[in-house]
Amino acid sequence: MQGPLIDTLARQGVTRRTFFKYCATLASLMALPPSAGRAMAEAMAAAPTASRRPSVIWLPFQECTGCTESITRSHSPSIEGLIFDAISLDYHETLMAAAGHQAEEALHHAMKENEGKYLLIIDGSVPLGLDGAYSCIAGRTNLEALKEAAKGAAAIVAMGSCAAFGGIPKAKPNPTGAVAVSDIIKDKPIINIPGCPPIPVVITGVLAHFLTFGSLPELDKLGRPKAFYGETIHDRCYRRPFYDQGKFAKSFDDEGARKGWCLFELGCKGPVTYNACATVKWNAGTSWPVESGHGCLGCSEPDFWDAGGFYRALSMPADPLKMAATAAAVGAAAGVAITFANRAKKSSAKAAHETVTLADLEK
Amino acid sequence: MSLEDIRVVVDAGEASPYQADALSGNAPVLLRELAEHVRHLVAAAEPTAIDLNALPLTPADLDWLKATLGEGEISVTLHSDGASTLEETSCPGIWWVTHHNENGHVVSRFIEVAFVPELVKAHPEDVKTGLEHLESLIFDLS
Repeated sequence: MQGPLIDTLARQGVTRRTFFKYCATLASLMALPPSAGRAMAEAMAAAPTASRRPSVIWLPFQECTGCTESITRSHSPSIEGLIFDAISLDYHETLMAAAGHQAEEALHHAMKENEGKYLLIIDGSVPLGLDGAYSCIAGRTNLEALKEAAKGAAAIVAMGSCAAFGGIPKAKPNPTGAVAVSDIIKDKPIINIPGCPPIPVVITGVLAHFLTFGSLPELDKLGRPKAFYGETIHDRCYRRPFYDQGKFAKSFDDEGARKGWCLFELGCKGPVTYNACATVKWNAGTSWPVESGHGCLGCSEPDFWDAGGFYRALSMPADPLKMAATAAAVGAAAGVAITFANRAKKSSAKAAHETVTLADLEK
Repeated sequence: MSLEDIRVVVDAGEASPYQADALSGNAPVLLRELAEHVRHLVAAAEPTAIDLNALPLTPADLDWLKATLGEGEISVTLHSDGASTLEETSCPGIWWVTHHNENGHVVSRFIEVAFVPELVKAHPEDVKTGLEHLESLIFDLS
């Protein structure tokens, strides 16, 4: 392990052992085999940093700043933070000191200096209604700003479910005509990092991948990095064994809930949701929704807000009891099959969308 | 309705929601996998590791596995970015490795099959730096 990054880290008091430990954990989070940790440590340590810090421009559109909140709360000071030192974040409205004309100047300067090379991060959806008047920065619509910034970008990261899939602004009846980045930009590689908000280490992981292999990670059919979105919440859930045994919580305060049984029947969207919460967890590894007793909302999937109610079991259109019995009898293999069956059910539920009422939420 | 009207029941018998009966049955098979890895270590001197977080194991499974593998003669604690413990089990060559972050939370868990886990060895570059330090100590003596 030799190279500029490890030297930079060493100057900041990060030892090779610490770095190796970090890489082993990152590889585990990325669902890579344990041997990949060592390979990553070697390659990342050798990645050039001081000579060419990749320029990153972050544009916020129709968003709630939750994504920025999430990223800035990656436990600091951490190696994640140090990897952020390896990039040059040239424009980020919430984090930058400059304002007004100075900020816009910084943006255009960065775009010109690094033309064709910068990484563009977008959070928030792009409203198309009323000619884009719903969201403007410095008197220009998001649509205009996106098209201009995308032109010189090497790649675009659509950060959060809004940028990736339209998110909550796009939820029915979509008053602003919100669309995803990929609905507008067609000629650039786009990496979707959905989640409401996405997990901090996922963006670090993508950056680490960029630094390690000089390329963008492998993506799934929805444009998400397979390393983090390759498996469902359900597949990696620590409550999965209870699902396989057919042990389900039936309400939020019953014996099953207290014993930590599967939350499938309480509306958990884990089986159809691809994200890394189950392994990475939240708030510096403290917990995650299912561990705190609540089902997964499916926030990293397209149109999760319109998927038929957070507390409605995925199997609701069919007979949930029958399904549970099947799972109990046949076990893991059946579980997988049901996952696929449910995916089909979810889309049919989506097609037959009904307005979610308070009564639905209390079910 | 006030807050007091909501009855709070303390389940005295249950200290943790995960009972010993929460064994999933996924842990015992790991012993056979480990045996295969140890045979490979002996034959080819190639270390391997199992990422425990990647497997559907309950906390009870992990406890069972750790208790079954037992404790060996050596245990190493690494103090960097939170503690990491590398404990030899009762089967030499099998190490139980737990990485914690600064807040003490477990961030990753492995079972390593190796004569000595990679993390324990000092890197040649670090040894060189250490030598420089030692030389400066000697220099200070004179």
